[in-house]
Amino acid sequence: MKLNSYQEKLILFLFYVLTTLIAFGVYQDYGIHIEEKFHRLNGLYWLHYISNLFGFSEIENISEIKMNEISDFSLSSVSRYNKYSVLLDLPSALMEIVFNIKDVKTIYYLKHLFSFLIFLTSSLFFFKILQLRFKKFFFSFLGLFLYITTPRILGDSFFYKDILFLSFFTFTFYFLIKSIYKFNYKNLLFFGVFCSLSLNLRFFAIIIPIFFVVAILIRNFNTAQFINNLKKIFFYILCFFISLYIFWPYLWSNPVNNFIDLFLSAKNNLVDVKIFYNSKFISNRILPDTYILNWIFITTPFLQTIFFSSGYLYCLFRFIRRFINVRDDVIQNDLWKSNSEKIDCVFLIYFTLFYFIFILLSAPLYNGWRLVYFFNFFLIYFVIGFLFNLNNIFRKKNKIIFFFIFFILISYNINSIIKIHPFQSLYFNSLLSEKIKNSYEGDYHGIATKHFFEKLLNDNNNKIIKVAVASHTPIQRGLEAISEESRNRFIIVGQEYNQADYIFKNNISEVNSYLIKKYQIPKDFHKIYELKIDKIVIYEMFKKIKN
Amino acid sequence: MKLFFYKSILVLFLFLVGFHYSFNYFVKKIKSNIEENFSKEKIEIIKDKIKKEMNVAIDKDNFISKEDANLINRFLDKIKSDLN
Repeated sequence: MKLNSYQEKLILFLFYVLTTLIAFGVYQDYGIHIEEKFHRLNGLYWLHYISNLFGFSEIENISEIKMNEISDFSLSSVSRYNKYSVLLDLPSALMEIVFNIKDVKTIYYLKHLFSFLIFLTSSLFFFKILQLRFKKFFFSFLGLFLYITTPRILGDSFFYKDILFLSFFTFTFYFLIKSIYKFNYKNLLFFGVFCSLSLNLRFFAIIIPIFFVVAILIRNFNTAQFINNLKKIFFYILCFFISLYIFWPYLWSNPVNNFIDLFLSAKNNLVDVKIFYNSKFISNRILPDTYILNWIFITTPFLQTIFFSSGYLYCLFRFIRRFINVRDDVIQNDLWKSNSEKIDCVFLIYFTLFYFIFILLSAPLYNGWRLVYFFNFFLIYFVIGFLFNLNNIFRKKNKIIFFFIFFILISYNINSIIKIHPFQSLYFNSLLSEKIKNSYEGDYHGIATKHFFEKLLNDNNNKIIKVAVASHTPIQRGLEAISEESRNRFIIVGQEYNQADYIFKNNISEVNSYLIKKYQIPKDFHKIYELKIDKIVIYEMFKKIKN
Repeated sequence: MKLFFYKSILVLFLFLVGFHYSFNYFVKKIKSNIEENFSKEKIEIIKDKIKKEMNVAIDKDNFISKEDANLINRFLDKIKSDLN
C-alpha cells in the first residue's frame, strides 16, 4: 500500500493531535521532581539578573521577592551552581510573573507540559531526518512512534531535564544532516544556533561542533573548494559563539573566562555519591565500563535493543569494510558510497564517539543512564536502519512479517506505557525478574512522593502528620504537588524517626546502606503499604506501632 | 592525504581505547578495591567494632590472662632496659 503525500500528512497531523490531547489529559498525573524548586529558582535568578541589567525594575522587584520566598534547607545556591541552562527556566519564570501565576503547582505542571511539547516537536525533526535518510513513510513513522513511546524517555519527557537535551540534540542533528546535504550558509546558521543551545543544556555537546569542523576540514583538505568551505566554517563558528553568548546570561559578565571555567570546574561540580547498581552500592566515580550499555539493555524494550544492536553492528562492519578499501586516488572508494550511507556514518561515528568519551573519561553517571538519554536518538535510528535493510533484503516476500514486527513494537510500547503510568521513567524491560528489577536504583527524582502524600491524606484524618525519610530523597519538595491546604498538614522530620508517625522509603541512598544504617527502619515501625508496579517497588510506607 | 588523516584518527582512537583497557582498567580496579576496603563507611564500621570490643574488655573481670600479662610485662621491661 503506497500513500500519497496528502495521506501521509494527514496521518502525521492526526497522530500529533491525538498525542497532544493525551498529553493535556495526563500531564498532571506525574509527580513533582526534586529538582523543580532549584530550576524555578534558577529561572528567577537569571530573570532578576537580566531585568536588573536592562532596567526592568518591576520584574526585577517581583523576581527578587519570589526568590526570597523559595526556601528549602536542602536546596543548592543558584549563585554557586549558576551554569545551568536557562532555556526553559527563564521563559517559565517570565511567564510566572507576566501571567501572575500564584500556585507553585500550576507553574511546575505548565513547565512539564511545555517540556513535553518541545519533545513532541523534536520528534517531528527526528521524523524528517528519517525521511531524508530512508525516504519511506512507514519506517519514518515507526521511528517517530518509537522515539516518543520508549517508556523511560516518555516518562522523563515531562521533567525537562535530560529529555530537553535530547530534544535540542535532535534539532541540532537535523540541521547537521541538512548541512551535510547542503553545505550552505542558511543551514550552517541554524546548525550553529542549535549547537549552542545544546551546549547550553549539556556541556559535552561541544563534541558536535568540534567533530563537525574537524571532519569538514579533513574532507576538503587539498581540494578546490577548501577556501570557500573554510569561509563557511568560520561563519558557522561565529554563529555558534554569538548564539551561545546571546542565549546564556552566564557568559555575559566574562564570556571567555566563564566559558573556560565551565569545563575546568566540571570535575568539582559533578556528583560524588554511592549508587545502587546490581544489588551493590558502588561509587559513581568508579563505574564499570558496561554501566551505560547494561542500563540501556535492562530499561529499553527487548525487541528495540535487539534491533538496535543488529543495526549498529551492521553499520559498524560496513564502515570497517569501507575503511579497509579507502583509496586516495579512487573517489568511489570512500567511507560511504551514497548520501544515505554518509548519514549512517555520521550516526555511527557520533554515537561511538560519545559512548567512548563517556567511558574514557569515566563519566560519573548516576540514576541509570538518564544523563545519556540522548542516546535514544541513535538507538531508534539504528532500529529503523536495521528494519529498513532487512526489508530491502526480503523485499516484497514477507510484507506480513514486517507489519507483524511493526505491530509488536508499537503495541508493546503502548501496553508498557499504560501499565506503569505515571511511572514510565522507572520502566524496566519486562523480561527481567522481580529481583533484577529491584536491584537497581529507582525513583531518584522522587516523583512517587505525590502518590505517597495523597495516600496519607486519604488514609489519615490527623491534623498533623509527621513523616520521616529513610532514603536520600528530599520529600518535602514533593509536597508542592499537592494542594496548599494539604501541604500544611505534613511535617517532615528527616531521619528523626522517633518523632515520626510514618516513614517514606525508596532505594535511593547516597551511602552504602548495607554498612551505614542511617536509612534503617526502626523496629517500632511496620510496613503498611508498598507501591509496586510491574514488579518494581516504587516506594514503601511504614507506620509507627502504637504501644 | 585523506587516507593519512583517516588512519591517524584511527590510530589515535585505538591508542586511547587500548590505553583505557590496559592502564586505566588497572587503575580503576585498584581504586575500586581501595574504595571497597577503605571507604568512609568501612572505616566507620571498624571504628564501631573497636569501640564495641573495648566495651567488652572493660566489662570483663580479667581481660588479659595472667600468662599474657606476665609476658607483656617482661617484654616492656626488656624494651625499657634496652632504651636505657
